[in-house]
Amino acid sequence: MSPFVKNPNRPDLAALQSDSDYDAIVVGSGISGAIIANELAQAGKRVLIVEAAPETDRTYEGYTEYLNHFYGQSAKDNQSPFPINPNAATPRGSELRKLDPLETNSSSYIVQSGPYVSDTVYTRVFGGTSIHWEAKTPRMLPQDFKTQTVFGQGRDWPIGYEDIETDYETAEREMGVSADVEDQKYLDLKFRDSYVFPMRGLPPSWLDEQVAQGIDNSQVELYGERYALKVRPFPQARNGIPNPAYDGGKGFEPTSAVASHQIDIGGRCQGNTNCVPICPVQAKYHSGKTLAKAFETGRVDLLSQAVASKVIIDDASGRVTGIETKVYHHVSSPAYKTVTLRARLYVIAANAIETPRLLLASGLRSKSGLVGRNLMDHAYLLNWALMPQICGTTRGTSCTSGIVDLRGGSFRRSQAAFAVDIHNDGWGWATGSPSTDLVELVDDGNKFGRDLRNAIIDRVSRQLLLAFMIEVMPSESNRVTVDPTYKDPLDNMRPVVSFAVPEYSMRGAAYARQFAKTLFARLGAEDHTHYDPSNYGFIAYQGDPYEIRGGNHLAGTHIMGSDPSTSVVDADQRSWDHDNLYLVGAGSMPTIGTANVSLTMAAIAYRSARKIIATLNH
Amino acid sequence: MASPDITSIEVLRSQLAKAIQLEHATIPPYLTALYSIRPGANTDATQILRVIVVEEMLHLTISANLLNAIGGKPDLTVKGFVPSYPATLPDGETDFTVGVGPLSPETLKAFLKIERPAMAPAGKSRHVVRKSDDHSTHLCTLPEDATLRYYSIGEFYAAIRDAIVYLDQQAKAKGETIFTGDPKRQVTSEYYYSGGGKLWPIVDPASAAKAIDLVIQQGEGKTQAIFGDSGEIAHYYRFLQLDKNRYYQQGDSPENPTGPALTTDWSAVWPIATNLKLAALPAGSELYDAAVAFNSAYRQFLALLTRAYNGEPQVLLDAVPRMFEFRNLIQQLICNPLPGGNGNAAPTYEI
Amino acid sequence: MTSSPRLENFVAFSAQITAFNKVEIWGTGLADVYLDTIDGLVGAAVTDALLDAFAPIATLRSDAARTDRLRLEVFGSERLGPVARAIVKLWYIGVWYPLPSTWQEQFGPTARNDAFVPTPAAFVEGLLWPAIGSHPPGAKAPGYGSWRLPPNIPSF
Ligand SMILES: Cc1cc2nc3c(=O)[nH]c(=O)nc-3n(C[C@H](O)[C@H](O)[C@H](O)COP(=O)(O)OP(=O)(O)OC[C@H]3O[C@@H](n4cnc5c(N)ncnc54)[C@H](O)[C@@H]3O)c2cc1C
Ligand code: SF4
Repeated sequence: MSPFVKNPNRPDLAALQSDSDYDAIVVGSGISGAIIANELAQAGKRVLIVEAAPETDRTYEGYTEYLNHFYGQSAKDNQSPFPINPNAATPRGSELRKLDPLETNSSSYIVQSGPYVSDTVYTRVFGGTSIHWEAKTPRMLPQDFKTQTVFGQGRDWPIGYEDIETDYETAEREMGVSADVEDQKYLDLKFRDSYVFPMRGLPPSWLDEQVAQGIDNSQVELYGERYALKVRPFPQARNGIPNPAYDGGKGFEPTSAVASHQIDIGGRCQGNTNCVPICPVQAKYHSGKTLAKAFETGRVDLLSQAVASKVIIDDASGRVTGIETKVYHHVSSPAYKTVTLRARLYVIAANAIETPRLLLASGLRSKSGLVGRNLMDHAYLLNWALMPQICGTTRGTSCTSGIVDLRGGSFRRSQAAFAVDIHNDGWGWATGSPSTDLVELVDDGNKFGRDLRNAIIDRVSRQLLLAFMIEVMPSESNRVTVDPTYKDPLDNMRPVVSFAVPEYSMRGAAYARQFAKTLFARLGAEDHTHYDPSNYGFIAYQGDPYEIRGGNHLAGTHIMGSDPSTSVVDADQRSWDHDNLYLVGAGSMPTIGTANVSLTMAAIAYRSARKIIATLNH
Repeated sequence: MASPDITSIEVLRSQLAKAIQLEHATIPPYLTALYSIRPGANTDATQILRVIVVEEMLHLTISANLLNAIGGKPDLTVKGFVPSYPATLPDGETDFTVGVGPLSPETLKAFLKIERPAMAPAGKSRHVVRKSDDHSTHLCTLPEDATLRYYSIGEFYAAIRDAIVYLDQQAKAKGETIFTGDPKRQVTSEYYYSGGGKLWPIVDPASAAKAIDLVIQQGEGKTQAIFGDSGEIAHYYRFLQLDKNRYYQQGDSPENPTGPALTTDWSAVWPIATNLKLAALPAGSELYDAAVAFNSAYRQFLALLTRAYNGEPQVLLDAVPRMFEFRNLIQQLICNPLPGGNGNAAPTYEI
Repeated sequence: MTSSPRLENFVAFSAQITAFNKVEIWGTGLADVYLDTIDGLVGAAVTDALLDAFAPIATLRSDAARTDRLRLEVFGSERLGPVARAIVKLWYIGVWYPLPSTWQEQFGPTARNDAFVPTPAAFVEGLLWPAIGSHPPGAKAPGYGSWRLPPNIPSF
């Protein structure tokens, strides 16, 4: 199915301002906002989406423009397809630098107040970060929902795996997840008896096979327990071969690219190896696919280039009465008009940095004082080596398989769990390969002609990059704040982030390094890992060097719980303080375990949508 | 029903083999026109041609399923399977030719004729007699007598559809069926690259008729409608968009598309030679070798398809990377200047 | 693309320093674009000097002999070496990397002094990718599941 996109724009600001007939205003067009808007629209509700970015990529042409922009950049950092927009800026890794003790760097959009500088990003375009994401979609483990009870670490969720299992299934349908259930039954992960994923698992890469041959069925020992290792495919939200057994034998029809006319592309992943930062054919899920359905109902309007700047509260009732929004005319000019938008109910789905930023800028800290606190993100530790044999690196989706056996276990009492990605795209993330390899071979190695061609094969096709995604537990001192000193061109306060990688995670990182060395030894791979003290992510831990990279899995800044004094939202993501306000997104997650956050985030969005519809129907 | 032209199962099989040849014969012209577009230019034409090529592959597979269903054996490797271009196709009283060349207003005209065949006027014979006075490959001929052509591609398919019904009724009268093929030889959606739900096992007259209708609908449109049952736009109208400089949307009349505008820059196309043959390249040159290498890659691809259509459907999944490989080979040829300043090279499809 | 003797020499030189054949170099569709880019950056006189230096080398029979002479007379030349290395990188990855500042001091500034991609197609046509039996990220996709097979690294 190739969704056609209706034009949902409402450029008539005056009319919009006096339109008080919306059931809900949704701030943000990412996965979270799209799911809420679509669910509400399908239930007959009228919705206005307020999106800070221009809506250019709503059409296929706009999307394709990103691709050309990407090809044309000499340094392909991971935001390179997305043009600079100062009015709704997007953090960029290239803006970062290491901080001196107690220093604050405000030259980047996110003001970094340290001590650790994270290169984590999100993307403010139509469709949010889903245009950019990699689309790995593992579920959290049942044990992840109660880490405090089981391991004495982090916080328990107010709900358990069983409570959101069917929402996981709904999210897997919406995002079009490819995986085989047999591969995903490990540790305490369980699935409904007859469950199959919408599409068959993507085939593992040749590189995965080479790693598997070296380590499958070998074991490691940790705190006296033994863990068997196995290379397993990851579930992914990208189109594969539909599983005829899906939905009790009804099968599944993948959603292909979104366009304003028929193009029929993206029905199946073609192995472009460019899932991040942009899939050229839209085989990868992005929220535009969900939004196309929402717009199709005719009940969802879009106001783009509109930055929500203040949530207005009625002091007596605590209810939200409107959202003050700055609508700019052009990305190259800071000129804007301010409008106040009203609806019966408000949903902020602007992501785990921008949602608390908006609340704090509106003076809303919540009674718990926890808005912006407990910021989480996975800590990534990269390890890279050359395999003894040619592995065909640089082919396939960014990552097809990994090692997930240490996502759970009793060791979590003492140190963080991790999942390991085997990167099909080689050392790029760590070293800038292959262009850095090329420059080195030509400029320093004095290679050209046949020598160069041979050397390139030898250097690139054997690359193995293991990315360890290490769990980070919530900590109140890791936080987003705002400060009137730091504003953007629209006079909105920018987010200020203070973050330190917790000791618990660093113990996990130290073990991750050791584990990587063990694997490299088993594979006969040449370890090329080195951590540079001048890098902004550098951390010395117990005398050893590490470089911790941001995980782009931002979460935890409006944490959910069962007690208003220790949480910001309830289990339905409704604000404890403002009963017609929902904060929807990974910010509500009390812990993130070792699962990329978005599938769980989508599952809880479905839960909230049910609650919102019930409330509106009441 | 009028007396069918196809009076035995053997003849039906040979006509279905011709259908496979016909469906394939459109691929080299479409593919070459597609890759003749300069990088980054004409994204609309690129998308339109790309989708059509993918669907022609689907039609090829459907024709193979049809032949398999009645106990035949598709063979894409027989001599003469790939026509010598330009190939001749019937268009009512006259013929037209389709060749391998760059995308241009003229190629677009031929493509439109392929996709929108004229049907014989009521009361007129669906056959036309024409002498074969040239050496090009004539497609859509009648069984046994190659000087007899169908009035059009549409009539060619209509005759097959009628014959399936007719022959199966005859067989039924004897307590038999013409659907004697092994169902395991049917290629179904999970093996096909793109386009879910469009390949089903053909096991009886109903599933066969549905398959032929899909081929016809995707080509010319359902009884002249722009959009088919699944909301999909027919090839003819896809191409017509390039002529009208505008996309169709639901509810449009054929004369007047109202979707987004599009433009084609006919000059942003590599100046490739039309119907190039190996003989025109200096023997022993790198360019000659590259053209030969392409032809042999293409031959291997047809051999893989033949295996896929003969009981190993999973081979289709491996054939796909091949298709992408020769995209690169075609683009390479197309960027190479011909000696003597006669434009650029092109694949010759001399298989 | 219309061919000229100078362009043909450039293609022959490019083929030699990349170890791809002339059909493959033409096949990128970028030979003329690159020659124009290089002329624009370092001046046609430098490009001509490079092609002139290569002309006698091109006639040598053995690849090893050509390589030796190229080392001595082109890659080892103060004036031509950095330009030749930049051309190799341009063909392989589609990026023009700026020449060393010492070169610019001695032989004059180049028209631009940043790393850039002359045209979006340059990235897509980078020779590094076919060299390793792969494809550039985001383009020339090899098809669903192709990654599960061993790489098809062309011999040369
Ligand atoms: C490189 C990368 C790889 C990733 N890979 C994965 C992965 O493999 N698996 C996974 O699960 N997750 C992954 N993620 C994370 C994932 O992308 C995010 O968790 C998810 O997209 C967040 O969705 P969201 O809807 O909450 O927020 P976003 O997608 O960030 O959307 C928020 C939207 O709100 C808009 N907005 C913000 N502020 C305002 C305002 N004030 N007014 C109006 N609009 C506003 C923004 O423009 C944006 O459109 C990855 C992220 C990155 C960057
Ligand atoms: S591998 Fe390619 S086609 Fe597949 S999802 Fe990634 S970018 Fe898209």
